Amino acid sequence: MNLKFKLPKPQQEALGLGERESIRYCSPYDIDFAGHWTKNGYLVVTEERLVVLENEEIVEEIPVAELTYLKCEPLVNNGILVVRRAGEKEDRILLRFSMKHVSRIAFIAKGALLLKEGSAKEVVSRENDKVCPVCGRALHGTSECPKCSGKPSAFRKFISFCGNYKFSLIVIALLMGATSAIQLIIPKVQAVFIDKHLRPEVGTNQQIITYAITMAILYVMIIGAHVSRYYMCMSMGTRISKDLRRQLYYKLQKLSLSFIQDRRPGALMNRITGDTAQIRRFMEDAFAGMFSCIITMVSAVIIMSRMNWKLTILCVAFVPVALGLSIAFRKNIHRRFHMQWHKSDKINSGLQDVLTGIRVVKSFGTEEEEAENFKKLASEFAKVQKRNEVFWAELFPIISFVMGLGIYFVTYFGGIRVLGETMTVGDLTRFVAYAWMLYGPLGWMTFLPRQITQLLTSLERIYDVLDEEPLIKDHTDAVEKEITGAVEFRNVSFGYRSYEPVLEKINLKVKPGEMIGLVGASGTGKSTLINLIMRLYEVDDGQILIDGTDINELKIEKYHSQLGVVLQENFLFAGTIYNNLKFAKPDATEEEIIRAAKMANAHDFIVKTPDGYNTYVGEHGFNLSGGERQRLAIARAILNNPKILILDEATSALDTESEYLIQKALERLTANCTTFAIAHRLSTLKDADRLVVIDGHHIAEIGTHNELMEKQGIYYGLVTAQLQMQALKKEEGEAEPAVG
Amino acid sequence: MGMKQFEGADEEFNLEQMEAETEQMLRLRYITKANAVFERTKGGFVALDLTDADTKETEHYDRIRVVRSFPFTDRNHYVSIRTIDEKSKEIGMILDMEKDITPETRAMLEEQMDIRYFTPIITKIHSIKDEYGHAYFDVETEQGPCKFVIYMNSSSVVNLSDVRLLITDLDGNRFEIPDFTRLSAKELKMLDLFL
Repeated sequence: MNLKFKLPKPQQEALGLGERESIRYCSPYDIDFAGHWTKNGYLVVTEERLVVLENEEIVEEIPVAELTYLKCEPLVNNGILVVRRAGEKEDRILLRFSMKHVSRIAFIAKGALLLKEGSAKEVVSRENDKVCPVCGRALHGTSECPKCSGKPSAFRKFISFCGNYKFSLIVIALLMGATSAIQLIIPKVQAVFIDKHLRPEVGTNQQIITYAITMAILYVMIIGAHVSRYYMCMSMGTRISKDLRRQLYYKLQKLSLSFIQDRRPGALMNRITGDTAQIRRFMEDAFAGMFSCIITMVSAVIIMSRMNWKLTILCVAFVPVALGLSIAFRKNIHRRFHMQWHKSDKINSGLQDVLTGIRVVKSFGTEEEEAENFKKLASEFAKVQKRNEVFWAELFPIISFVMGLGIYFVTYFGGIRVLGETMTVGDLTRFVAYAWMLYGPLGWMTFLPRQITQLLTSLERIYDVLDEEPLIKDHTDAVEKEITGAVEFRNVSFGYRSYEPVLEKINLKVKPGEMIGLVGASGTGKSTLINLIMRLYEVDDGQILIDGTDINELKIEKYHSQLGVVLQENFLFAGTIYNNLKFAKPDATEEEIIRAAKMANAHDFIVKTPDGYNTYVGEHGFNLSGGERQRLAIARAILNNPKILILDEATSALDTESEYLIQKALERLTANCTTFAIAHRLSTLKDADRLVVIDGHHIAEIGTHNELMEKQGIYYGLVTAQLQMQALKKEEGEAEPAVG
Repeated sequence: MGMKQFEGADEEFNLEQMEAETEQMLRLRYITKANAVFERTKGGFVALDLTDADTKETEHYDRIRVVRSFPFTDRNHYVSIRTIDEKSKEIGMILDMEKDITPETRAMLEEQMDIRYFTPIITKIHSIKDEYGHAYFDVETEQGPCKFVIYMNSSSVVNLSDVRLLITDLDGNRFEIPDFTRLSAKELKMLDLFL
């Protein structure tokens, strides 16, 4: 997302930059205080001041050093920028803008505050604009407008990519040429036959047989060329889409989590499966036919004009008419069928709604109402569908007739010439055959622009991913290092969107082997802290040191191999238990695996399953309970012999027995590595050396259980609240049987 | 279920506080001209002094948030006055903007809501161009001329009633057509696809 718009000349003059001053951030704003759309309003931040420009005037100017508060507040479908200046007691509205600029200005506000603190760091937005701010074109999830960015277009990259398939392309071109040539020869053969041989007295049986055989051979050749051409196109299309798919998949694995989380998983799946399939479809449907159609049409016109240019002009004159009609017809059809699709979509979602909520519908007894609603939707759909089908049935034959109008004229004028003996019957037949070659593909050709645009959109989306550089990658001087597990946070700030800080100025020093319990209400950033230790994201500000080395200076793969992670929801891949355990350490021996499983209290249940370590788990696989999955995850973590262990709600939502077993397993595991554990059930953290309470983006409290209980702060509150909840639950549990 | 005696007085006090807070969340407290004084701040917001009916204590808020409970169907009733912090707790509700508060106060609060809610009313449609899954609108709104782009799917254009449409563009801005039957035949034809 662009945070530095180009400021127009007049505004630049009004701004009057000082000698050492440059524009750091600049964004337009588009609503004025009366609530009207406005143009030519700009928010500019330089090293020294924050300026609001309206038309060519400065309406507000605040030295950056005097900003005590600056925040973009999102409202309902618009946003405001609120400021407080040193010496002012109250919040003040500075600007108003639509959703187009909300996140942009939020980023800029953060950037301005960083400038005030004297940080040279420039805020960058990872989000994408939905609409190109320059040309107003909708962007299909790409980071830059393909038209305005001036980078080599996706199409050009694709063309050079297609260079890998030179051989196929040459063969296809030859086959296309052959098909067109044969198609063009056939009318000539027919003409000769009609004029020379198909005449009583002159022609012989032998000639008729020769003709029939020649024609048969020609048609077989056409069919052969067609089939091999389509075969080649299909296989090339499949190969291209397979290769792109592989590249995309590889890239997605490489890219940082932030890239993937900024996009919906569905959208990314779509790029791998949908967009590459789109390319294959284009290769099969359009590419195969496109060029040979054009070659045939152009050659037909050339031959026709050499036969009779007057008739040719007559014939060609109708082409624009037919083309225009066909386009208009298609547009109309598209509109109509889009509407039909829209209605069927409504029916589907209505149906899905009711069926998924059937328990609610039944328990509230609203079956009748829902049936009535559905009937309404269904009859609306039926109405549209009927109208469309009738329209199609009525109009299509008429359109085809009109499209061929030119040919009827040719037949008439040609017929007159035949009677006047200035043209032979054979030539007329030949001419009409060429005319059909010209008109035949017209209807099909009108689909081409749409198909080409779809291809381009898909290409843009694919290359948007392929061109993306992973944010987190090994620095050139990264080192491979065996770590001991000392972790230090130095002034760390981070937000998934950099305008919404999740953690601010975190300072924390952890000794090797220490166990840290992370406590706080949900959404306070405990998991985020852990994500940063795992280096799934890069910090916005500050540093994380592992054994005194900046985490960014470590080779990622080596570092990750020394981490162990157990999450609340542990993902098991489709495969055997053995393979799932080996995932952490591909070269682990069977003995190592069994040892790890024993440590995790998992060995016994694994051996009890019918196929032991070879039991298939994952989707459609053997059903493991939550506790069993959890123990597998712990075994997986142990196998790595990690130096830093991360437990994110590893024991929540388990029954008492499995929790006990897991607790025991974890105790063994945490004994000799640095552990960060998050747990809602605070009793789980009783063994922690220190507890860190996170509240309001900061570390609010830190200390041992006893220290924090004495302090009577947030932790104390949480513990007492949980005790009371437990007591209440227990009491309810006891009361029930007494009532019954 | 009776009250349970906990060991230690501190814990019991805590439970009471929690229950008091829950109780407060359940309470529907109405704000009227009798118990509240609203005042414009220099920064363009509104401050509030509210006297509680039970405790007779006056609460002061430097800046409040004004929120409609029924922004589409009942703009002038049940207007919620909330704190400005992240928790955005409800301070109280104004049942009827016409009767319960003075016209000056009402104007003040309406101003705040005009800033909070931004849904331009479309008065005229110049053109709607549909292109490969997106529709490009060029319209006249009560807030001035405007161009925007929407996705061509069913959630972009929503019927608020039989005649009222709400259109959401790619950026998340919303536009309203209060009564599409009042549009000209030509405009209706362009809009046809979304009805």
